[in-house]
Amino acid sequence: MAGGRSMWEWGLDPMCLSHVKLLSFDLLSLQKPNTRGGSEPFWRKGRPVRKVEMVGVVVSRERKDKFLKFELDDGSGCVPCILWLNHMTNRYYPKTDQLQMESMAAMALKQAEQVQLGRLVRVQGRITLYNKQLQITVSSAVVEKDPNAEILHWMECIRLAVRCYDMSAPLPPSHNLSDAGRKRS
Amino acid sequence: MGACIDWNAYIIVMASASSSSSASAIKAGVLVMLDELHPSSPFFTNGASLRLTGRLQEFSVETAIAVIVDGGATFRIDTQNLRDIHFRIDSLYQFIGELLIQPGLQPHQAILQARVGRNVDGMDMHLYRKSLQLRRQFEAKYMGTQST
Repeated sequence: MAGGRSMWEWGLDPMCLSHVKLLSFDLLSLQKPNTRGGSEPFWRKGRPVRKVEMVGVVVSRERKDKFLKFELDDGSGCVPCILWLNHMTNRYYPKTDQLQMESMAAMALKQAEQVQLGRLVRVQGRITLYNKQLQITVSSAVVEKDPNAEILHWMECIRLAVRCYDMSAPLPPSHNLSDAGRKRS
Repeated sequence: MGACIDWNAYIIVMASASSSSSASAIKAGVLVMLDELHPSSPFFTNGASLRLTGRLQEFSVETAIAVIVDGGATFRIDTQNLRDIHFRIDSLYQFIGELLIQPGLQPHQAILQARVGRNVDGMDMHLYRKSLQLRRQFEAKYMGTQST
């Protein structure tokens, strides 16, 4: 149970399943999960957030053998991001499909090369905690060639916040079914 | 979204939001238009991290100082820390860095010590200006700093 809602309820909230588009200040002020272990999501105004999408300028970059660590600045905050590059050696990655793993590793390496200081980058990934601080574990990092893409992203963040993320979650199907049942009887 | 914004409160909240919530030691460059950077502006503070955008008017190879212009205002940028960026007069550039206001010098001699820079040719500056206003109103409203 989190935020007064059972996992059955927040697990079906569309915000829990999609990449939520947020500005940095909004992302950095997400409420952290109460429990450790990664099963519970972060929270924004009582709604669950697991995955996010943000656009910003790369203002720091640190390349190691196993990962690329960088920070994105969108003018309202700097968000630390980590792109793992150890698909072939990390035992946490499933070893079921070697070919798929090789292509994921190659793609991550290619993305790491493209993420350079001063570039405008769009990232998608999971929100995680490292040293009690929030970061994005990147699943996709794309360099935006069009500078207007950042402006469009701001407008999308504002529109989605006002029209979707700030609203209360839609009720899970069981509630709708029971309501319909009640109306019939 | 039509109310005015308490700029001092906005800047204080944005500065604390960008530094306290994350592990980052790097401060976010607050988005500012060049014509907002005058001595009486709350953005005009020594050491403030800013993001400035403008068309390149001059560039000195000897001093690595660029002058950018937008909306009738100009500002000097120290680009000595930048790598992999080629300057072309009349192209649009965006810089993130710290404002340096040396004591004893005139306000117009303030300079942005850039740590990041990029070419933004093709950016719609009119759209940028309008979107920035909307964004500030959204941030101020969200963070409860909006005044009536």
